[in-house]
Amino acid sequence: MKLFDPTTAPAVRVLTLATRPASLAGLRLGLVDNTKFNSDTLLRKLADRLQRRHGAQVTVTRRKRSPSHEIDENDIKTLRSQADLVVSGIGD
Amino acid sequence: MPDTDAGVEPHVLIEAYYDAGWTDGLPVVPPTEATVAAMLAGAGLKGHEVLGEIAGRNTVVTADKVAINAVMAGCRPEYAPVVVAALRGLCREEFAYHGPASSTGGSAMVLIVNGPIIERLQINHGNNALGQGHRANATIGRAVRLSMMNVMNTRPGFLDRATLGNPGKYAFCFAEHELDHPWAPFHTTRGFAARDSTVTVYASNSLYQIYNQLAATPEPLLLEFADALGNLGAPNLKGFNESLLIFAGEHAEILRASGWSRRDVQQFLVEHTRRRVADLKRTARLPGEITTADETTWRYVFDSPHDLHLVCAGGRAGSWSACLPGWGKKWTRAVTERIIEP
Repeated sequence: MKLFDPTTAPAVRVLTLATRPASLAGLRLGLVDNTKFNSDTLLRKLADRLQRRHGAQVTVTRRKRSPSHEIDENDIKTLRSQADLVVSGIGD
Repeated sequence: MPDTDAGVEPHVLIEAYYDAGWTDGLPVVPPTEATVAAMLAGAGLKGHEVLGEIAGRNTVVTADKVAINAVMAGCRPEYAPVVVAALRGLCREEFAYHGPASSTGGSAMVLIVNGPIIERLQINHGNNALGQGHRANATIGRAVRLSMMNVMNTRPGFLDRATLGNPGKYAFCFAEHELDHPWAPFHTTRGFAARDSTVTVYASNSLYQIYNQLAATPEPLLLEFADALGNLGAPNLKGFNESLLIFAGEHAEILRASGWSRRDVQQFLVEHTRRRVADLKRTARLPGEITTADETTWRYVFDSPHDLHLVCAGGRAGSWSACLPGWGKKWTRAVTERIIEP
């Protein structure tokens, strides 16, 4: 019996996770708002907490065109150069 | 490898496709070398050809896999160019596939076919245009959904996160009733000539039928549409909507007889599809306390006449039309793709 496989696996991309910092103290924090309702509010509260409790400072905030779209390449460059870690959100 | 599974009972093959997790819940037509080759020939494509990519999901859509899914869906080979064009449309950057395909909103991918191919393929545009009973409508729509599941990894519970979904997710394909129309065919408003054959892909998570048997002029009829499009449960009430309106039967005749242009209808709906801010706050569609000003402050659903896609389909008899709110124009846009026949 022969079956015709109708599926395609996602193309393989090798991704390397960034080294996790031992401490957030003094690190530059980037925020990516995906434009979901209240995502900016939630990210801001999270950033305030990270600053207060762990000493990370927000240095750059970017807003996506929409939740459906990928973040713009220029924004990725900015985040790379101006942030040590990035928080993005939110889902439903 | 033999071309056919002679001696294998059809139900055994059908069950094997179920067991592999490759169906949409309905039985599929088990492909053979010959039927897959015929489907590729119908599309005028080689198996390795790439129809599109969705970078954020590492998805590459190739002709051979689409051909297999089209056979499984029950398509005839001559339907393949429509399936291919629809999938190319889904891969366009402006469609922004990931959102409408994966959202909890559970959108159907609505396919609207225009042009001479409608008659050649007998795609239904008349009585029961959105319903069952026509092979081309059912299988073209199904082939696109099966390809989404199998090729684009849009499986329920995985990258299809629909909370409820809707029956249009099995298949949603119809043709425009181009000869019984108040205006020029829809695709001519999107940069194509009437002689071109096209398919428009559009994401919508609901369909409302609009009933009115007394209206004899556009205004009362269109006020009903405005009410439906602006109902408080509709998604994207906050000024970034895109909507599809399907005028049928007597309603299309009212618009034709009135002399209203397509733009007149669109403009009327832009001006009348609105809700008071107080209504939105009362139903927690907007946050905050209701102020006195909120009772007289309007929030408009549409920014522009271009946000309203007007098409005609359906039987001549009856006082029914339909509207399908979009998944949100800021997040996805309808895409019209030329159908290329070999």
